[in-house]
Amino acid sequence: MNLRFHWMLPKAGEVSLGAPQTAHDAARYRIHYADPDSGAARPDMEGWTHFARRAEESGIDSVLVALNHCEPDPLVVACALGLATEKLKFIVAYRSGLMQPVTFVQQMNTLSALLAGRVALNIVAGSSTAEQHGYGDFLAHDERYARAEEFLAVCNAFWHSDGEVDFEGKYYRVEKGRLNTPFLAPDRASPEIYISGHSEQSERLACSQGTTWLRAADAPEKLEPAVARLRACDIGVCLRLCLVCRPTREEALRDALSLLPEDKEESTIRLKDDSQMYREGAGLAEDKHWLSPSLWAGLVPHYGPVWTTLLGTPRELADAFLAYKRIGVGEFIISGWPEVDEVATFGREVLPLVREAEQQ
Amino acid sequence: MNLRFHWMLPKGGEVAMKTAQETNRVLTTQRTSPAALPDMEGWTHFARRAEEAGIESVLLSFSRYEPDTIFVACAVGRATAKLKFIIAYRTGFMQPATFVQQINTLSGLIGGRVALNIVAGSSPAEQRGYGDFLEHDERYSRAEEFLAVCRSFWQGGGPVDFDGRYWRVEGGRLNTPFLAPDRAAPEIYVSGHSEQAQQLALGQGSSWLRLVDTPEKLAPQVAQFRERGVEVSLRLCVVCRPTREEAIKAAEALLPGEEIGRQERGILTRSDSQTLKQALAAADDVGWLGRNLWAGLVPYYGSSAITLVGSPEELAETFLEYKRVGVTQFIISGWPKLDEMVIFGREVLPLVRAAEGN
Repeated sequence: MNLRFHWMLPKAGEVSLGAPQTAHDAARYRIHYADPDSGAARPDMEGWTHFARRAEESGIDSVLVALNHCEPDPLVVACALGLATEKLKFIVAYRSGLMQPVTFVQQMNTLSALLAGRVALNIVAGSSTAEQHGYGDFLAHDERYARAEEFLAVCNAFWHSDGEVDFEGKYYRVEKGRLNTPFLAPDRASPEIYISGHSEQSERLACSQGTTWLRAADAPEKLEPAVARLRACDIGVCLRLCLVCRPTREEALRDALSLLPEDKEESTIRLKDDSQMYREGAGLAEDKHWLSPSLWAGLVPHYGPVWTTLLGTPRELADAFLAYKRIGVGEFIISGWPEVDEVATFGREVLPLVREAEQQ
Repeated sequence: MNLRFHWMLPKGGEVAMKTAQETNRVLTTQRTSPAALPDMEGWTHFARRAEEAGIESVLLSFSRYEPDTIFVACAVGRATAKLKFIIAYRTGFMQPATFVQQINTLSGLIGGRVALNIVAGSSPAEQRGYGDFLEHDERYSRAEEFLAVCRSFWQGGGPVDFDGRYWRVEGGRLNTPFLAPDRAAPEIYVSGHSEQAQQLALGQGSSWLRLVDTPEKLAPQVAQFRERGVEVSLRLCVVCRPTREEAIKAAEALLPGEEIGRQERGILTRSDSQTLKQALAAADDVGWLGRNLWAGLVPYYGSSAITLVGSPEELAETFLEYKRVGVTQFIISGWPKLDEMVIFGREVLPLVRAAEGN
């Protein structure tokens, strides 16, 4: 099967429609999205639609829409943007603990029916204690996983049964639950479910309730055992990474290094104090910044593991994607700076090389 | 101020249906009903006609038999320019912070054309199917807290802290505000006839939404609400025809067949809603609540089917009578869903506006 490439939906206000934007400026906007006066707080249909159309033209399968307290709700954004596009799918990030699973299923099903099934789910157990408290959720990290397990079990019961749903768990209880609006898609009766995280619990949750495990990129040889484990349970693996593709490696390296903060102490990681994935990133020593010849983690100590960056020429990047394919990785969710330019470059320069190699 | 007229958004498939009998509750609760699926074609058509007819908002009903109201409002809102959406939602299904984030996002996507109809819950069986096991009275206490948390977010002015019996929030912050040209928070319609519903409307709502009754019966209650700065909105149906006789004939033609009628009564008696019980009692006892207010359809189409029947002049005069006792808004439906609204916009509304001085 061909590799599937998804992209991160840019923050509201991030897509520059008039003036050209440097990689540095685009990345700074992303880094500061949580500031109360950031444009990221207000829906940006113009910028998003512009990006979404470029993504469709570039052969991108889906966009990931993030959930946090600084941005618009991803389900509602997916609804509006989905109605303005035709092919693009939406991987909507959500957390258990924010709503009853039955209500969540009703919302997802409604969305699927409005968007001809172009919706998938990225479940995050929760990454910051303070943010969870602000949402009214006071469970600790490990319990959040136990609850996410139940949450998805209830959702899956609705998606996989025709009758009434009964569930009696520690966190959720449902008696004769029934929803008339089904999940509607041409080829599926339930959404794909991506489970994020680096902890063992996230891996287990992916195996029991998900379709795909989503984690930050690392060197193929490092990932190989975990990928093999998940593939053995028939679970797909999807990697989150940033991309800097330039005609030469030197140019790619220069643009990647331009993203380093002037202030060496700058960090947004402390905001995600309750995530194993972010703790791992924060502890990364400087001599460990090259995870492979093209995979650079220099931004990770500052901004977290999803800033792990694959950089190089189109050929080098295509080869890197194919190396992941050989160990069993099936999908990628990519960011780039600026997103609109990078997705166009990827679609024009990298993807044709990948597809060509996949045909052979 | 002019009276404000809203209309009920038809369920999926209903815009194309020509008879009332096709829209009865037995049929719409079946899994195979078109009410289970979004009907963008029908809804968009209806919404545009509503805008032309001078209707301000549409009310979107919430149940397990229909698509989720927030997303339907998003989709229809993106396809319209003026119409507002009164979104029915029940408290208890979602953290208030999450609910505010969704409503605020929606407001930013459809120019602030969003209001809420908060319902504490209806049938105990349906609530349990949603994972909610509280009793009627407790659902109201929870709704009170729910709206208190929502309002703290909408008031702004720093992180939200709340430590209640049902909800707890610590340092809550949402960067996406409620975005509307003229408001920082949505209008909140609180439904229900019980004492708790009225207290909730007074404490947390901008309007109490109740079933229609005769103006003289409503006058004392309406006065109490208006004194405390809360509006009163009435839910009703209309059947308007050139003459009173034709209207009565048309209304009686809406009665269902015998078998459907029997099943409908079964559905209604399983609810623990006081609103419904009172309406049913009225229908059983008298049928006619006033000279042109008929409850004969309630056992078959639900409590909101109390129907104002008459000629355009009679209906306009009745709306103005409600205005005199202090009622400010109406949420209407009729059969066929589209045609009755078009008649209202063409025949009744101009008479009301003329009398109001416009």
